[in-house]
Amino acid sequence: MSHGAHNDNNIQHLYEGDQSKLYSGVLAHHHDVKSDESKAQVKKIWKITFILSVITVVEVLGGLYLSAHLSKVIINSIFLILTVLKSAYIVSVFMHLGDEVKWFRNIVLMPLVLFIWFIIAFLYDGGHWKTMNNENPARFDYHHAK
Amino acid sequence: MSHSTTAATPKAFGGGRSPFNVSYGKIMMWVFLLSDAFTFSAFLISYGTTRFASAIWPDPNHVFHSFPFMGEANLPLMFVSLMTFILILSSVTMVLAVHAGHCNDRQGVVKWLLWTIIGGIAFLSCQAWEWTHLNHQGAWWGSFQDLTASKDVYHHFFKPAVLESATAAQLSQSTNNFFNFFFTITGFHGAHVTSGVIFNILILINTVNGTYAKRGHYEMVEKVGLYWHFVDLVWVFVFTCFYLL
Repeated sequence: MSHGAHNDNNIQHLYEGDQSKLYSGVLAHHHDVKSDESKAQVKKIWKITFILSVITVVEVLGGLYLSAHLSKVIINSIFLILTVLKSAYIVSVFMHLGDEVKWFRNIVLMPLVLFIWFIIAFLYDGGHWKTMNNENPARFDYHHAK
Repeated sequence: MSHSTTAATPKAFGGGRSPFNVSYGKIMMWVFLLSDAFTFSAFLISYGTTRFASAIWPDPNHVFHSFPFMGEANLPLMFVSLMTFILILSSVTMVLAVHAGHCNDRQGVVKWLLWTIIGGIAFLSCQAWEWTHLNHQGAWWGSFQDLTASKDVYHHFFKPAVLESATAAQLSQSTNNFFNFFFTITGFHGAHVTSGVIFNILILINTVNGTYAKRGHYEMVEKVGLYWHFVDLVWVFVFTCFYLL
């Protein structure tokens, strides 16, 4: 126990001192605005902006022109895939989650797995109510059923 | 047992270092955003449940077909596309403010925060217009409950063929549900945008006053930036659920 990282004062101060020293990934060090590194990052930001705009335009065109011609399942799947793609770009680049250490990424992203069950269960429930209402219209038209 | 370990390769959870390499404030912002994500998805999924349980549902291309100062022109999705674009751009200006913060570039932070605030206010103004417009068509929380109303009151919201064949109860229930969810969810999102604009104004004041320059870092801009991007992220899903699907 005499040697170990926790005895190193240079590391220990991270717990008590200036928390900002815990910047991670690209955020770990400051650099000049005019440096090549800084310019490369700004370029990446505008590239992602361009991609997000293109996806949005594709979504709107799909909503205007394709939704009447393609089957609901196909067009909605396309919309959902594009939505997830957009949010992945926002979270990983704009929110810099892609630059964090692996375990921090996991801590943030793993709880989202719950959504798979959350969505399936509740949409299935809604569909079931519709079936019940169809089989017994009096349930649905309850305003009239006296 | 400790003889086999060396300080050269410390394990992430072995103690002595921060396993996530992120400051406390930033971790807590992420945790808050995660919980907020579950709140928003509870709203959106209950919207989905209700929609799945409904025989008919208002058609977004009919509900959202107006544009300010364009009168009765039929421009489906155009206005909401503008709103989406405004919010994406304000997210970009925010990430540029965060970047300027990393470079300790105070002027840059001020400039990009100002643009972000303008974008946020522009988005809120668009939303105010859209709410007012829909309200003029009779939509609000708890609206369209009158089963004796003529079908004409629904003609803004449905495809003509659907309107033709639907019963009064179906039209009333689905339109009522649709607008209850619409105003609740876009309202909750708008409340987030509003508080985001307020946070942005506060950190702009601090930046101008040199608070962060004195502190030596602009982490506060980064934390508020996370919140702002999250608001944009939520809009991506609201846009899909209400306007596309």
